[in-house]
Amino acid sequence: MIKRRVVLIAGFVTLFGGCSDFLDVNTNPNGPETVASNVYLPPMLHWLVAGSQWDGRYIGLYTQEWVSTVVNAAPATTFGRMGYDPGNDNSGQQWRDVYYTSGQNLVDMMRIAQAEERWDILGLGYIIKAWGWQQLADLHGEIIVAEAIDQTKFTFKYDTQEYAFAEVRKLLDSAVVYLSRTDGVVDAAYMARGDKIYNGDRLKWLKFAHGLRAINLGHYTNKASYDPAAVIASVDLSFVGNADDALLQFEFNSALNDARNMQGPTRANFGNYRQSAFVVDLMDGTVFGVPDPRISRMLAPSPDGGPYQGLSPNDAGIGALTPVAVARRPATPYNNATAGAGLYLFDDRARHPAMTYSQLQFIKAEAAFRMGNRTLALAAYRNAIDAHITFVNSRITDGGQAPPPITAAERAAFLAAPTVVPTEANLTLTHILSQKYIAQWAWGHNELWTDMRRVHYTDIDPATGAQYYPGFVPVTPLYAANGGKLVYRFRPRYNSEYIWNIPSLEEIGGTALDYQTKPTWIIEP
Amino acid sequence: MKLHRVLSVLALAMLAFPSLAVGQGTGIIRGRVTDAATGAPVLGVQVRVEGTTIGAQTGQDGTYTITGVAPGARGVTTRRVGFAPGRATVTVPDAGSATQDFALSMVAATLNEVVVTALGQTTSQRSLGTAQQSVRGAEIAETQRENFVNALQGRVAGVEVTSSSGVPGASSSITIRGVSSISGSNQPLFIIDGLPMDNKTQHTSVLASSFGGSTYSFENRGVDFTNRAADLNPEDIESLVVLKGPEAAVLYGIDAANGAIVITTKRGKAGVGGLEYNNSFRFESVGKRPEVQQVYGPSAVGSSTFLYWGAPYAAGTEFFDNIDGFFNTAKTQKHNLTFSGAAVDNRINYRLATSLTQQGGVVPHDKYSRINLTGASQAQVNSWVNVDLSMGYTYADNHQSFKGLGGPLIGLLVWPQTDQANTYLTPGGTRRRLTTLNQGLEVDNPYFNVNKNFNASKNNRIIANLGLTFTPFSWGNLKTNIGTDTYTNQTEILRHPESTFGFSNNGIIDVANDMTRSSNVQTVFNVHSRALTNSISIGALVGNAINDYKSTVDASVGRDFLEPNFVSVNNTNARTSATRISQRRLVGLFGRVSLDYKKYLYLNIDGRNDWTSTIPVERNSFFYPGVSTSFVFSDAFPAIGNFMTGKIRAAYAEVGKDARPYSYRPALEFKTTSYGGYGYGFWGPNFALSPEFAVSRELGTELTFLDNRLGIDATIYRKQTRDQIVNDIRGSYATGFILFNLNGAVTRNQGVELTLRGTPLLRDNLSWDIVANYDRSKGTVLELPNALPEAYNSDTWLFGNVRNGTAPGLSTRSLTGWFYLRNQAGDLLISPTTGLPLRASTFIDRGYDRNPDYTVGLSNTLRYKRATLSALVDIRRGGDVFNATEHFLTARGLSMRTLDRNEPRVVEGVLQDGRENTANPTRNTIVVTPAVNTDYYLSISEELFIEKDINWLRLRDITLSYALPEGRFKRASLFITGTDLLLLTNYSGMDPIVNGNTAATGGSSAQGIDYGNFPIPRGFNFGLRMGF
Repeated sequence: MIKRRVVLIAGFVTLFGGCSDFLDVNTNPNGPETVASNVYLPPMLHWLVAGSQWDGRYIGLYTQEWVSTVVNAAPATTFGRMGYDPGNDNSGQQWRDVYYTSGQNLVDMMRIAQAEERWDILGLGYIIKAWGWQQLADLHGEIIVAEAIDQTKFTFKYDTQEYAFAEVRKLLDSAVVYLSRTDGVVDAAYMARGDKIYNGDRLKWLKFAHGLRAINLGHYTNKASYDPAAVIASVDLSFVGNADDALLQFEFNSALNDARNMQGPTRANFGNYRQSAFVVDLMDGTVFGVPDPRISRMLAPSPDGGPYQGLSPNDAGIGALTPVAVARRPATPYNNATAGAGLYLFDDRARHPAMTYSQLQFIKAEAAFRMGNRTLALAAYRNAIDAHITFVNSRITDGGQAPPPITAAERAAFLAAPTVVPTEANLTLTHILSQKYIAQWAWGHNELWTDMRRVHYTDIDPATGAQYYPGFVPVTPLYAANGGKLVYRFRPRYNSEYIWNIPSLEEIGGTALDYQTKPTWIIEP
Repeated sequence: MKLHRVLSVLALAMLAFPSLAVGQGTGIIRGRVTDAATGAPVLGVQVRVEGTTIGAQTGQDGTYTITGVAPGARGVTTRRVGFAPGRATVTVPDAGSATQDFALSMVAATLNEVVVTALGQTTSQRSLGTAQQSVRGAEIAETQRENFVNALQGRVAGVEVTSSSGVPGASSSITIRGVSSISGSNQPLFIIDGLPMDNKTQHTSVLASSFGGSTYSFENRGVDFTNRAADLNPEDIESLVVLKGPEAAVLYGIDAANGAIVITTKRGKAGVGGLEYNNSFRFESVGKRPEVQQVYGPSAVGSSTFLYWGAPYAAGTEFFDNIDGFFNTAKTQKHNLTFSGAAVDNRINYRLATSLTQQGGVVPHDKYSRINLTGASQAQVNSWVNVDLSMGYTYADNHQSFKGLGGPLIGLLVWPQTDQANTYLTPGGTRRRLTTLNQGLEVDNPYFNVNKNFNASKNNRIIANLGLTFTPFSWGNLKTNIGTDTYTNQTEILRHPESTFGFSNNGIIDVANDMTRSSNVQTVFNVHSRALTNSISIGALVGNAINDYKSTVDASVGRDFLEPNFVSVNNTNARTSATRISQRRLVGLFGRVSLDYKKYLYLNIDGRNDWTSTIPVERNSFFYPGVSTSFVFSDAFPAIGNFMTGKIRAAYAEVGKDARPYSYRPALEFKTTSYGGYGYGFWGPNFALSPEFAVSRELGTELTFLDNRLGIDATIYRKQTRDQIVNDIRGSYATGFILFNLNGAVTRNQGVELTLRGTPLLRDNLSWDIVANYDRSKGTVLELPNALPEAYNSDTWLFGNVRNGTAPGLSTRSLTGWFYLRNQAGDLLISPTTGLPLRASTFIDRGYDRNPDYTVGLSNTLRYKRATLSALVDIRRGGDVFNATEHFLTARGLSMRTLDRNEPRVVEGVLQDGRENTANPTRNTIVVTPAVNTDYYLSISEELFIEKDINWLRLRDITLSYALPEGRFKRASLFITGTDLLLLTNYSGMDPIVNGNTAATGGSSAQGIDYGNFPIPRGFNFGLRMGF
């Protein structure tokens, strides 16, 4: 009897032995915890480019690339009036992408690449980091850099824009060092698995790093420290032709929403947007005297076949237009296509640029102009326009749209027009900035907005006695909280900062209702 | 250790002791057990010979026979739930028989009643140191609810049941003692025949349409799924016990931190068996209809999203009765067939039952049908082994319309009344449209919506439970239950290509197959109470429980339909699939020591240690104690006992709680951008995650007067949860992540529960019983992790800018929103330019709280001869309800309140001109006329639609039954039952019982947020019961 009881109790007690294996089921079976370094790349690269499309919808309202037709509701009443959407994450996409989409993923990728001596991927990691800070600092001014990506903290101090700009250059120094290395396991095919921008070509990324430095240095024009020679030197180390353009490809896997161009007709994000009168004026001859051959490839035609027309944010709805103008009210930027073939960058498959040869040549032209080297400035300026015409011809065939490309004759005639490409003596910053606007229209929002803010939107070009951006009329009335001031920055992302990081925000004045009108450091002298 | 190893060791342990011969003899004891009050035989009484393991159960005629009794003077005891135990001494002759009859008194609500407690233990009410309350299965079945959870509202003090809506198969959430967890589940553990039963409501995050943060996910707002406890057939429930707090449920561990609902299912009984059949037929209709104005016509005809700010309708305009015409009379039928019986000595019993339920809805095409097959058999194999096997199969088929924003109710309300809505297709068979808007912007015609969109699920479930009880010693037994609860749930949700929700994707079809398996083993070794001294007895138990839960959901979503009306993923151009696995394992070791002093002072000391897989291994083992005591003062002081019985009880318990699986370690997920790639999900790491603890104490008393005709059971309690894990809490994105699961919230729940029982009338042919359950509970947030300013569940942010936000100092059921700005004196701030009030652009608190002040459940049972009338009235006082539907109608110019649109008015308040907080603020004098300045209604704050202090009185159910004289059928009766026949409330919407989310949403969820939700219909049932 005693023996039986002992067996019973023993059997019972045995149940509690060795449960540690049994409990070890907390590794998430739904996703890995780390992956190969090249597998981190696609979402980061995608969003670094696509994020600017999302925020660009709103920047494009500030810069009058387009206007919203829903006159009584946001974004026309908020961003459309140089304001913002309160309590909303709109205009916070790049904020999300830099801190979250790249964020810890980038840290992990760089750690793995370093351990595996994949210097090309590590170098690209430095570029992604630099690129993110450059984008965010341009948009927001003060951002969190030094304390960022730390899960042990819940509030974060903001760094100055000056600090962020310097940090970008430091990171680019490292990028250049690593991208120049060929030892270790540098492997273009391996990197190409995740890098569909340059297919793993580290030398192109090396040029990209120099290009990014040129963009960074080019923003200092209002500062005493502006160094045009350094800008030109960086441009010269960067892209040498359109083949170097950094372009995001869309896989067009129909199951994946984000694998289609968000500016394309299928995703239909621009149904309520129309091209602005300002961009039409830049291209239909109003400003440059001759019609631009790019207009028919980039902008939506008038429904009645008449002259191109754009809308102004100061039109009080369609009612303010003449009957003729109503008939010519442009279609959507994809020209009412419902799927597939849209205009220019508004096609489902149109590759979307992050940086172009043309853009860098404009930066070089401005630098050369500001240092007084008009010969160099004119050459770069002409190059820039020419390269953009080439760019347009490529983009309008990305999705197989195959409209007639800009012919050599059209190109030659346009470049020969003295109002477009003047003599050295007649070249002005107005030429450079206005043509740069066209070349960046619908994609280069961050740079475009910085350009406009550098000349306070409506500054007068002393060479012409007119605005650098001829005919640009800011919206009236402005967003009520602006207190009559134009917009100079995006507010930090609402759900990230205005809910959880308020004390730090208050230190930089971020809770002020007119914070969006406070000029960023780089704009001020 | 793998589960199968655990099982094999267990099996070994069970086989390790061979048959034990417990001193058997040749004597026989037989007798009859009757009800002392009526003299009627009592069946199912356990009659045992003291000091041995032998015994028998009484049959239909109340008789019992115990064989193999050793001769001599033997103590014989009786136990039967609901009756006082009996005891007698019998002298058994060798090889002869002795007769011992018992007359037992029914002791409902008295201290000697035998009750079921945690782990299926039975004990006398007097020894309980904690609060619990039981409901008879028959009482639940009588309400004719398909989902038995809905029958519990009002029947148990402290239990609150909220059905998400009134459509068939809607989920119901149940909370005991209020909301204490800010983000996690507040629902109790369901135990069926000793083992846990899954009560999951499917969460929309398992659908492939939620994958990768898509733009077309439902977020627990647009669709609802049945809570799985509804799979249980109410007719199979013998009894249900609610263990209200951690004090009572501590032995069940982690999952019972919110209390436990312990269900015992029916078994065959000797003599009562045979074939039984009952049925029920029901008609249901919508009680209250929504009201919309018929004075002003639409503005911007054809191009607006149905705004009604236009000119008045011309005289003679024809209006169609779209709203009334939409609702059906819902028909439901139920059939139950039971075959049961037992051997005369009840050594073997069996019960086989099947049931068919077909429920229709008041909304066209809504339905819920269920088939149950259950079998249970129990056998006394030999003198020391008892085997019990129960198996239940359930097939449930549910078809629901959508709810909320995309649901048919919103479409029904805004659809122009000048248009005949039931013509919902064009002659060409496509969606008939009224506007030139994009199909994704025009609200779905309600008929189109219910005909072309659906949310369907089919569930196949098996619950099997093998119970083995070994009684090798007279002083104790070992009880092991091995069971599995396994189901496959198939969900199919269609958003038609032409519908508002489906258009931009050219149709969306979601399919998800959830294979959930929960395996459980529980072993309890019981040492019966034995006398240590003349006055002190001691009993004990020790046990363990192992739970292995795994759910694997294979889901896919197809978009871009080829053929618009063919419903299959195969018909789609763009497909995404995803697998979601969730696994959790739990091992618990527990014990209890019970002491009693002279049968009037009891002390129970409990302890449990849990090991969970979801907490980092350094902290995954945690112990918590419980202690409870009961003092029967009416026995201690017989002078008191002469005119009343009474006890007081006090209990203290702590209980730990773990996290959901995979909470602390971040994982990468596939990203839906070009060329694949991985990136982190939203959740950041928290390697410091530790279990949360609830510390709870309660004090209660149970008193009876007037010979048990009046009883009071009162409890006060306070529960404080520390280190509470708050899921999905945001941080700055600079962390690198968006959400975290953090310890650090503190909440406190306190309340009072009161149950009064009375029998005002008790005559031979007439009796009247009253039970009143009163509950007052309040949950307050004391702290949030990292001093974060607000915690909320984003699923609840489903209309405008109101959500279930809470913060330190606020109720756990508060609402935050973009409420009106006010100056320091509390006046509204008015914009000097528009004359309209200014709203906050952040979520602020204005004291809105959905927590009721108190609830009362009042049940009356009147018996006259063969007729019985019983009714339950559910009363609630206080608690706010957000009538979002009315806000929606107001902003669209449809609400009756917009009829005053042409009356100029000045909004009372002060101008925001810099002087608003001075002694002399500028009073607003700006005149606005809503018809001109439509912003008056368009941008009106949701705050005005949060209806404060909503009360209701609801006739939950009323049943009249009549027992037919014994004749051709045995136990035949007829009944009629009304459900939700009457609702008196100050709520202006259709039904204040509402949840904008589903029972899957944690925390306080969107209970009390009413947006596009169908009310609980009024039902009229009739049927009969008979035995053959």
